[in-house]
Amino acid sequence: MIARSPENAISRDIAVVGWAQTEMVRHTDKSETELLMEVITDVLTQLDLTRADIDFTCLGSCDYITGQAFSFVTNLDAIGAWPPKRDSHVEMDGAWALYEAWLRLQEGDIEIAVVTGSGRSSTGDPMLIYPMEMDPYFLAPLGADPLTFAALQARAVIAAGIADERSMAEASVRSRGKGDVDALLATDYLREPLHRHDVPPITDGAAAVVLATGPRARQLVERPAYIAGLDHRTECHNPSFRALDDSPSTRIAAEAAGLGDAPVEVAEVQAAFSHEELLLRRVLELGDDVVVNPSGGALRSNPIMATGLCRIGYAANHIFGGGNRALAHATSGPCLQQNLICILEGP
Amino acid sequence: MTRFAESTITFPYKRSLGPVVGAFMTALTDKRILGIRNGKDILVPPMEWDPTTGAELAPDFVEVGPVGTVESWTWVPTPSVQHPLQHAFAFALIRLDGATTPLLHAVDGGSSERMVEGLRVAPRWRGTRVGRIDDIICFVMGEVPETDGGDTGAAQEPVQRMDYHASITYRNPVPAATDRAVVASRNRRLLGLRCPRCERVYAGGKGYCPVDAVELGPECEVDLPTVGTITNFAIVTPVSYPGQTETEPFVRAFVLLDGTDVVIGYSPVIELPADEVRVGQRVAAVWASPAEEHDQEGGMGGAWGSLLGWMPNGEPDIDDPDLVNRIF
Ligand SMILES: [Zn+2]
Repeated sequence: MIARSPENAISRDIAVVGWAQTEMVRHTDKSETELLMEVITDVLTQLDLTRADIDFTCLGSCDYITGQAFSFVTNLDAIGAWPPKRDSHVEMDGAWALYEAWLRLQEGDIEIAVVTGSGRSSTGDPMLIYPMEMDPYFLAPLGADPLTFAALQARAVIAAGIADERSMAEASVRSRGKGDVDALLATDYLREPLHRHDVPPITDGAAAVVLATGPRARQLVERPAYIAGLDHRTECHNPSFRALDDSPSTRIAAEAAGLGDAPVEVAEVQAAFSHEELLLRRVLELGDDVVVNPSGGALRSNPIMATGLCRIGYAANHIFGGGNRALAHATSGPCLQQNLICILEGP
Repeated sequence: MTRFAESTITFPYKRSLGPVVGAFMTALTDKRILGIRNGKDILVPPMEWDPTTGAELAPDFVEVGPVGTVESWTWVPTPSVQHPLQHAFAFALIRLDGATTPLLHAVDGGSSERMVEGLRVAPRWRGTRVGRIDDIICFVMGEVPETDGGDTGAAQEPVQRMDYHASITYRNPVPAATDRAVVASRNRRLLGLRCPRCERVYAGGKGYCPVDAVELGPECEVDLPTVGTITNFAIVTPVSYPGQTETEPFVRAFVLLDGTDVVIGYSPVIELPADEVRVGQRVAAVWASPAEEHDQEGGMGGAWGSLLGWMPNGEPDIDDPDLVNRIF
């Protein structure tokens, strides 16, 4: 594990200065490129910037979800890449695109980066797409789908006493802002022990975040949300070899990002399934004084490839609104395989 | 009303198995299940590396099971087409006797009420096994393995590769500008869109200017010339892969339209043998007849609609050494 020491200290001078998201809907008529056009224009307009002001872009999206090879090349149409500009892409949630942009800005020669996450989950059947991201020898040929893995992890989390079906239903009601716990518990299982309310909606949408450094950040907004720590860690790809009632990669990333240095007021965690929120609260040791997922989280809207980036956006909202310190978490892979922690602080 | 286009994509992967997974798959054809030793642990399925430290593991295989114990399970009331069973079943983490890690597989449990942790299960083998995880169709309750149909025995040679075919159907929105370009092509018109800000013209039904990031609506439409010059080309020698229909070398040419800055890329040529294509050659658009409209074979498809490609129009070549640079 990389300890944080003065020698490898990160720059504290990089901040989220704004973000925007498209309407989050079950099914959009817009292409992914059109979603990105709209959301990039929205965030730049807020900040009185134009595409010409952007020094670096990093886009997070997934060809398997779009159903089109090199779909990220088409998405470049949304960034206004003429004259040519520095650009990159991650086949991951936009939160990891933000990680790359944060690294790039630390080189110190540029000031502004735009990061996006975009996905149209409604294009195909998630039950058929996601097995392709699983182990190709032992899992994909069985059609091992995300609901199955989430259910197996939920059972482990319940067995460990971290959650039960009632506390999961409560988490779901809290996130969605609707529903009656007793009525929900009386519904059929979708994948025992998961009911429909424990499972995220299918959402189309995109998000864009603007990062800026130094004086430029302070020029753009009154309260930049400074990135105080950012780290991501991964575990073995096959859940057979992991303790499903724990998330050691989340714990290590949080430690490396400096979660323990000072209390956070708000935590936005990417918990697409209700038990994941309860497990993450436990692993991150979030007390009752921490407001978890005031946005409603991934149970309210789950634009795959943008869900994690939206967590960073919502955590930044807390800072923009006068808060001091917030945590954002993003995840990827089955059963919280890979986890990213971003700590944001006010000026 | 936005139109949606449905397309089914098949991913025909052939995967190399390597020394560890290959040994496991080969043993499956012999109805044996192998784990690999990792210190005190016996990992099933076997890994080439320690899942925690990444240290390479010696090929020290241990036969496990084939009977095992259900450690955890979930009930699948409505299987997908990719699932091992097409009726309701359980996915379970099964600890095979002798293993220290659980294997995910299907259990043909009948109903969720019969599923319980600690349940003893045994494999139902396929009669003909090829060295894939689904040589085990599923696990069944009890201590006795089963074989489905006549047993054709173990593989004669070590299994080194496996096929994995996933097939997924996608529904994507078709931009309105694309549909307008297709309709225009039926009338042998090549539609362009002129950006009101930068004046650049785009063909191919692109409904926005990527430089200015503005939408280009019907008010931006212009008719493009259907005569141009080949700026560059490639001769593609087809290799065989699933879905490949070409067998002979064929040309993909880039055509700069007269009096514009528009290059139509990757275009088929018609009545022009591959060894006669030249940079600077003058060509004209070839359109499908109404009868051919629904046959996209050999045509350019997509937003190009009825445009089949380009053929020489008999005019003398243009001699311009810079032409070759125009592929966009
Ligand atoms: Zn323009």
